[in-house]
Amino acid sequence: MEKVVVIGGGIAGIQASLDLADRGFEVHLVERSPSIGGHMAQLDKTFPTNDCSMCILSPKMIMCADHANIKLHTYSEVQAVTGDFPRFRVAIREKARFVDVKRCTGCGDCIAKCPVKVPWEFEEGLAQRKAIYLPFPQAVPRKVTIDGERCRMIQSKKCGVCKKVCQAGAIDYDQKDSVVEVEAAAIVVATGFELMDATVMSQYGLGACKDVVTSLQLERILSASGPTGGHLARPSDHREPRKLAFVQCVGSRDAHSHGYCSSVCCMYATKESILAREHAPGLETAIFYMDMRATGKGFQEFVSRARQNYGVRYIRSRPAKVQSTADGTGALVNYETSGLTGESVTEEFDMLVLCPALIPPKGAKELSALLGVALDEDGFIDTPDISRPVDTSRKGVLACGFASGPIDIPDSVSQASAAAARAAELIEGGAK
Amino acid sequence: MTEFSPTILAFCCNWCSYAGADLAGVNRLQMPPNVHVIRVMCSASVKPEYVFKAISQGIDGVLVLGCHIGDCHYLTGNHRTAKRIPVAKKILRDAGIDDRRVRLDWVSAAEGEKFQQVITEFVGEVKALGPNPLREVRM
Amino acid sequence: MARVGVFICHCGHNIASTVNVEEVVEFAKGLPGVAYAGHNLYSCSEEGLGSIKRSIAENRLDRVVVAACTPRTHEPLFRRACEQAGINKYLFEFVNIREHCSWIHTKEPREATEKAKKLVAMGVAKAALLEPQTEGESAVLPAAVVIGGGVSGLAAAASLVDQGIETHLVEASDRLGGLLAEVTTIGPEGTDARETVRGIVTRLEASPKAHIHLRSRVAEVKGFVGNFEVTVRGCDGDLKVPAGAIVVATGTKELVPTGEYGFGQRPEVVTQLELERRLARGERPRRVVFINCVGSRQPGREYCSRVCCNVTLKNALALAKASPDSRIHVIHRDIMSSGTAAERLYKEASESGVKFLRYGLERVPEVVAGRDGVEVLVYDETLEETVHLGADLVVLAVPMVPPGDSEATAKLLKVPRDKFGFFLEAHVKLRPVEFATDGVFICGSARWPVSARECIWQGMAAAAKASIPIKEGKVVIQAITAEVDPDKCAACGNCVLACPYEAIEVVERDGRRAAKVNEAQCKGCGTCVAACHNDAVSQKGFTSGQLSAMVDALVKAALEVPR
Repeated sequence: MEKVVVIGGGIAGIQASLDLADRGFEVHLVERSPSIGGHMAQLDKTFPTNDCSMCILSPKMIMCADHANIKLHTYSEVQAVTGDFPRFRVAIREKARFVDVKRCTGCGDCIAKCPVKVPWEFEEGLAQRKAIYLPFPQAVPRKVTIDGERCRMIQSKKCGVCKKVCQAGAIDYDQKDSVVEVEAAAIVVATGFELMDATVMSQYGLGACKDVVTSLQLERILSASGPTGGHLARPSDHREPRKLAFVQCVGSRDAHSHGYCSSVCCMYATKESILAREHAPGLETAIFYMDMRATGKGFQEFVSRARQNYGVRYIRSRPAKVQSTADGTGALVNYETSGLTGESVTEEFDMLVLCPALIPPKGAKELSALLGVALDEDGFIDTPDISRPVDTSRKGVLACGFASGPIDIPDSVSQASAAAARAAELIEGGAK
Repeated sequence: MTEFSPTILAFCCNWCSYAGADLAGVNRLQMPPNVHVIRVMCSASVKPEYVFKAISQGIDGVLVLGCHIGDCHYLTGNHRTAKRIPVAKKILRDAGIDDRRVRLDWVSAAEGEKFQQVITEFVGEVKALGPNPLREVRM
Repeated sequence: MARVGVFICHCGHNIASTVNVEEVVEFAKGLPGVAYAGHNLYSCSEEGLGSIKRSIAENRLDRVVVAACTPRTHEPLFRRACEQAGINKYLFEFVNIREHCSWIHTKEPREATEKAKKLVAMGVAKAALLEPQTEGESAVLPAAVVIGGGVSGLAAAASLVDQGIETHLVEASDRLGGLLAEVTTIGPEGTDARETVRGIVTRLEASPKAHIHLRSRVAEVKGFVGNFEVTVRGCDGDLKVPAGAIVVATGTKELVPTGEYGFGQRPEVVTQLELERRLARGERPRRVVFINCVGSRQPGREYCSRVCCNVTLKNALALAKASPDSRIHVIHRDIMSSGTAAERLYKEASESGVKFLRYGLERVPEVVAGRDGVEVLVYDETLEETVHLGADLVVLAVPMVPPGDSEATAKLLKVPRDKFGFFLEAHVKLRPVEFATDGVFICGSARWPVSARECIWQGMAAAAKASIPIKEGKVVIQAITAEVDPDKCAACGNCVLACPYEAIEVVERDGRRAAKVNEAQCKGCGTCVAACHNDAVSQKGFTSGQLSAMVDALVKAALEVPR
């Protein structure tokens, strides 16, 4: 059976893996965090249907884990790629979890007893996790991981509580990283994106004002399994806000930051406005925007619904400055109203959500160098040939999803299927 | 005396009306909570005996929803439904039951709003008819 | 005696915010046949499924009821979980308390909870009577049919033949390329459209596996996944093509304006496609005004046609660069240049001298006679005044709309369309290139207006999906077929007349005549069931006993239990 390595376990990587596996290839799905799922796992709902994100993602994650033709390499990274199409040699470094995954049952006894607390990446820093942890409750695989850099035993040979309480005998402090080599006929890159660090845009107050959060943080706040149990509460005093606003294009469409448009923010801000209103009836929401990009199927109606049925105020203006109120809570937003007769106004909101630029993830440059693929001027994987939309500059290496540029979930899914088709063309058909 | 709230049964076909009902749900189209759906593959598989059983046991209204004529997933199924349900209604009439308690309609997979409309209308109509007189005479 | 396990899902707060899940669990415990009742935050997650499998083992359950979302999405997932736990996958029943309950009664939580209880009672009553089934297999014909020779159909067909699959491409007109045949360049990069099409067509022409049928239409489609018979009607008669999968790539056409902005009366007012034709002829009008969103994003046609802004931008840029004294204006409501390359194109266009004015639906532009050509009057929202623009040409960016025969295509294939007439895929997020009907796939603008690049990758995605059953060689048949009890059968033949698939016939067996079902042909619709006067035909998984029990359960829960 021919093998394909898929790098990145978000929705694009998962879909590509499923199609390739169904098609009869042996798939090695490499994901650097302890669970597959990517950013979609962090979302509460997805636009424009407001489907519960985990509900539609979870079955695909499970199908990946269950599929006879898919081998998951989580908490792993691609270390080196040698050879060429159709015989790539991919070295996958499986990082030490300090847990024997064959024995771990995911029961969670160890997590309860671990004394170390650190900021929780999945919860975007709004909550804490332990040094031994499950990235999120629906993680696949459902195995714990010890964060070696924070664990007292790994760092200074102290503690050891988790090993004492583990009834399955799964803790192994001596575990080492291991390297697995896979001879693959093709490679699919689906490494997704991350949010730009918007604290550098100090005019918007992220980091300085307690009640200014990022959109992903809001998703966690809105999620039933999130840090507030789905209750819309602002960080400063945990009160339910009465007025909430969104700022679009924070770092996108910006000559001083990122010139491009991140594509999905207009829609997700609309979605979050609707959801926030459903969580807090009577909530007033506003979206500060430049162009309202609602071009996909059902998107324009979604925006109309937000405007008409949920009273969302769409304000065409780019805020100039954001500050907290006198007692350090809320957000005072200074902006210009539109038109020639526009004037500078300051409006108070209880909470402000920033929609930061969506950029290539950490390590994207290094990975592209390793794979020998060219990046475009924005740092995304370049797929210049319109008639070969998933081909990178290197034959046999394909790219899909956000890794090659801003894209939403349905398009990531169809692009991932396209990558599977292309891999099949190259491998079986002897295509050029 | 609490206000009469009818109990209604709806047979929905998998391909059109059930999907239309799902779409109504996805779009959060609100409707009265009186209708309980039984999923079948095709409206043509709904035997009149199910309708009679429901009515004779006191259910206040029965809806049979299929694909639009010409769009049946199984080609001609709904043609038979279109002939069969009116006959069932006539039998009910002859038995002294108001045949407005049984309604046949067509809802496609894209018609979430139509589903909402049919449900809301039918519940209103059955409510106006009052409780099924056979509630007291159950077999 | 059945031992039914009932699992109520919170679905995060999608169900739990309206329906009192714990109350429904308690209610379920009291239902006849229920040996266990529990709940999960997300039943479909690994944690939820694991908990269900554990409960099955611990409580020796032999039937499972899950009350959650819609079976149309996750039924296969739970069936597989049952199998893994040692229960036949057909001993599973799905109750919909989300789309059909919590989401549509958000303001009536008490009533929604009571309704959920009744729905669960109905599900349990059916589950208790379910019988184990074995699935049959059906061979898949090793060929595909692609309907539509535009760029998405071409991409789908080319990918299929490059994967070694026999493919028939059916195109109604006399040439390939669809709308792109009339277009100069595509994409923000300005790629030559005809060369792009030519490149893909070359791949097809080079492959012995590709069969291109021009001036042809699909006249009839019979069969089901793996076993379609597609009748291709060309100039020289009908050809019956056996196929395992069908890809719909029938595309769109440009909306023809009905007199807006003087279209039809003033020769200076044209559509974008007409501009493309003139650009292809080398024409470069000097003063051009583009009006975006003509006929779209308004009551009656609310959608945004996605690609028009980018087409306007690339054409505006080309015209601006053509001459130092060109005066190009774009009148728009929003500029939809999402992504990296498109946003760069927007920047380049404005830096090259293209002027942008924003208008609102409340005050649309007007086209009047001018001294030289026409004049466009536009109320600019930013300047808050009416601007007069002289123009040699006014280009209307109109939306893409479904072609006139899309209704006929939908009927031919038994696939649904949305309210605008675009085809409706199986699931907007999870299955964007598939129809709910197995074996039929969708790509390109027939589903929603998309760019050429998107058409191509969607065509490839449809090819990926279509290739799976074809390469596998077989598909599994769901065990919901009909069966006949010969002892009850009077051999009257009603079922034979009723069946749309000729899947049932009266045969002689052991000296007596009775109806018999051809499992491979039976599609599991149940039409024969209702046609039979003797209760002799039943449908697996939907028997009279099961459905009657559901009616009884509703009666009991609704009418006999005090509110």
